[in-house]
Amino acid sequence: MDEPRAELTADADERATPPAFDELTPVDEVVRGERTRDDFLDAVLDADDPMTVGEVADAAGHGTDAAREYLEWFERMGIVTRVTDSPATYRRNPSYLRWRRVQTLRERYTDEELVDLLGTERERAETYAGEFDADSPDEVAIADRASDDGRSVEDVWADVSAWRTSRRRTDLLERALKAEGEGSAGRRRAV
Amino acid sequence: MTGGADPDDPTDPTAGEGAPADFDRLDTIAERLDGDDRFESVDSRPEFAPDRVTCSYDLGFYPEPVRSARLEVAWFQNGDFSLHYHEDHDASTFDHRWDRHPSDHNARDHVHPGPDAPTPGEDTVHPTDWRDVLASVLHEIQRRQRAFWTG
Repeated sequence: MDEPRAELTADADERATPPAFDELTPVDEVVRGERTRDDFLDAVLDADDPMTVGEVADAAGHGTDAAREYLEWFERMGIVTRVTDSPATYRRNPSYLRWRRVQTLRERYTDEELVDLLGTERERAETYAGEFDADSPDEVAIADRASDDGRSVEDVWADVSAWRTSRRRTDLLERALKAEGEGSAGRRRAV
Repeated sequence: MTGGADPDDPTDPTAGEGAPADFDRLDTIAERLDGDDRFESVDSRPEFAPDRVTCSYDLGFYPEPVRSARLEVAWFQNGDFSLHYHEDHDASTFDHRWDRHPSDHNARDHVHPGPDAPTPGEDTVHPTDWRDVLASVLHEIQRRQRAFWTG
């Protein structure tokens, strides 16, 4: 990245008291989190394909004993599912992550708020459907569409990604509202 | 949208091109960066399933002519990302972008260097691990921040 232009740099007065860059937490530590648990969570959340205990240990940068313990714990919590027994392999459990997000929605918002959010999200998705003249982003071939419309691939990619994001959010909101009838009494009331 | 494609499963064979925002990764990024002394605030909007995370740098790391500085983080379920660093100055701005996504002007991995992050950018190779990508970006920003004081 370019260095700042000379006229933007600190003047003599400011330089007398520069910021304490050396006291900051090193960036590698910031992005990795503070605990062993964060290392294992990062490893299993990336496990789209089944991973052995040894592979999870390597990915997390810790030993296999710790990996086995964390995997058993994550399995009990539903974060991972065991795919095979011998050798034991695990993969992340996307339905748990979705369930947790739906629960968060139900705890945080009233039904009225969820309905409003859903309306906004559906409108957004419909706008994209109209712009692309398609029922689903799966129908859009990004490079072809860009060349047909005289737009950049990057622009079309950004819109398709936003459309997919909007549909995913719509799905979460629909699940949160549908879960209403499935009995978990006394959670929420209108504000 | 129930009963068909699973929007949470990145290995879903029915998924076409592009991918939705990776809400779980964005949450993790917001959690890790929030509270670090580099940032005055770390915001996810909308909070329940963010499209991106906006990290506003503490202005104590910049001299007077810099009025605000932020890093916007967008990450997608197929591993694509776009990280945008932006500074506002008294009379100008500075932008720099690190990208991994389809493009007709560059390779999948590329950067749009400052001052105005022009298109096309420069082809590059970003690390495989998302944490290494983020660390290297934060590191580059810090190098620029230091240069304000030593220049």
